[in-house]
Amino acid sequence: MKKKRFSLKTLIVILVTYVLLAISLFPYYYMIMQSLMPWDQVDKRLFTKEFTLRSYTYLLSTGGASNSMMWVKALLNSFLVSFPTAVISVVAGLFVGYSMTKLKFKGKGFIYNSLLFQMFFPVIILLVPRFMLMKSLSNSYTGMILPMAISIWAIFMYINYFKTLPNALFEAARMDGAGDFTIIRKIAFPVTKSVSTIVFLSTFMGRWTELMWDMLISPDIQMQTLNVMISTQFKPMGNFPGPMYAASVILTTPIIILFLCFSKHFKDGISFMLK
Amino acid sequence: MNPKKTKKHDSRRNVFGWLLNTPYLIYSLIFFLIPLVWAIWLSTMDWNLMSEEKKFVGFGNFIRLFKDERIFASFVNSYRYLVPIVLLCFIFGLLIATLVHHLPDKIKGFTAVLFFIPYLTSGVATSVVVKYFFSYNSVFNRFLRDSFQLDIKWLQNETVAFAVIVGIIVWKMSGYYALFILSGIEGIPEEVNEASKLDGSSGLHKLMHITLPMITPTLTTVIVLAAGLAFGIFTEPYLLTGGGPNLATTAWQLEIYNTSFTRFQSGYGAAIAIANAVQIFVSIRLISFLMNKLNKKFGW
Repeated sequence: MKKKRFSLKTLIVILVTYVLLAISLFPYYYMIMQSLMPWDQVDKRLFTKEFTLRSYTYLLSTGGASNSMMWVKALLNSFLVSFPTAVISVVAGLFVGYSMTKLKFKGKGFIYNSLLFQMFFPVIILLVPRFMLMKSLSNSYTGMILPMAISIWAIFMYINYFKTLPNALFEAARMDGAGDFTIIRKIAFPVTKSVSTIVFLSTFMGRWTELMWDMLISPDIQMQTLNVMISTQFKPMGNFPGPMYAASVILTTPIIILFLCFSKHFKDGISFMLK
Repeated sequence: MNPKKTKKHDSRRNVFGWLLNTPYLIYSLIFFLIPLVWAIWLSTMDWNLMSEEKKFVGFGNFIRLFKDERIFASFVNSYRYLVPIVLLCFIFGLLIATLVHHLPDKIKGFTAVLFFIPYLTSGVATSVVVKYFFSYNSVFNRFLRDSFQLDIKWLQNETVAFAVIVGIIVWKMSGYYALFILSGIEGIPEEVNEASKLDGSSGLHKLMHITLPMITPTLTTVIVLAAGLAFGIFTEPYLLTGGGPNLATTAWQLEIYNTSFTRFQSGYGAAIAIANAVQIFVSIRLISFLMNKLNKKFGW
């Protein structure tokens, strides 16, 4: 055989890699399998042939507690909180990043220093006072969105990316008489698309999986995100592992799908994050 | 251009610059500056979160910190978490990156992304799976009992529960850090690899003397990120162990949350948070300093 596709060494590497990958993804297999298992077999087997959607329909109907549809509402809440947060993070990040790198104005240094100060500041200090400030907005989307709507990390992603772009790109448009907002809309936004994708996905995911703040600000079961609802129902519904697995699958899937759709952008972004 | 026009132009530019920063500045005022001052003020108060009454205790809360076994446990645990998490994330990240690097180009990107999936998983979903998987009657524990006569109380034993939480975090983060390390390895110039081949360097020798020194800046990023992460543990002990048994798995954030919102000692909670922030700041600075020294040694 003259034309060997892979050398032996490569085959071993592939084998080892995929064994490691299988171990790493085993929890997903287990979670999905248990969510589809008949209730008397949950956690008692690794595999079954009798699949059932009972755990999922249970969530759709009563979901255990008094009000029906509470799990559906929780999923909706997660979207309604995460989406606006991610959008605001992108817009605010773009604005600040652009102004810090491509504009000259009085007081820019002050704003930049304030950003640097916040960058490495442990937010845990702010927990109690933030809760006091937002208490009147308990059980509202605003109370969940606003405190996490701006990401300092996102701002620095934009700052670092804009730094790599030539000023001439923006100067030329200005010479042509383009207005300030037009430049942002027509040039700054399109050229930073890859950063915006990463910032959007990361802030969306961060918001989607937030636990502590949401538990504090949204104790009402109608206003809980899915992440919070699973953790509060975990104890009372502990004897119904099937639905808990199903809820966990529903919690995990949207984020994974979202990232897989944009994985190409994301890989570009990681290599950029290191520069 | 006449001076008048330039001046007008300047002021318009100033207005626009500040306009773009308005959302950020309002946010910082409301959610950063005011809470920061408030937190410092609160930390000198004895206050139960609900009542109108607050009692000024000065440094009382901070003195109390030193006698609190929960705080002592959080302090010690933050380093007990830090060391294995940073080391294991580093080792597994490097292992995954090296393996993926040697894969055929066709499946490289795809495989790296699959390793990245655990990072996307909410700690809540992970905790659900872990709690049931390690429960007494689970398929896994029955298998251990029937085949090996092993009866492990996963979340009730101090050492094992701690190891389980470290394991969850390493599992979650390794694939993410691997992407960083991979992009560092792929950035090593081809000449360096060729030269090392000519010198007969390969395997472990090459890893220690060529690959690692070439990617120290990337490793610095990974180590500092992992350290920051280890200080921010909350979800897993909150849902799995409640910080126990005997405070073996407790963490700063868990104690701050419980002190402020379940034991209602909110003034004291604010003081704990400040102590925690000081510790994080000093530790991260120290780690960055040491890593920078290492970077300098390798000429970065």
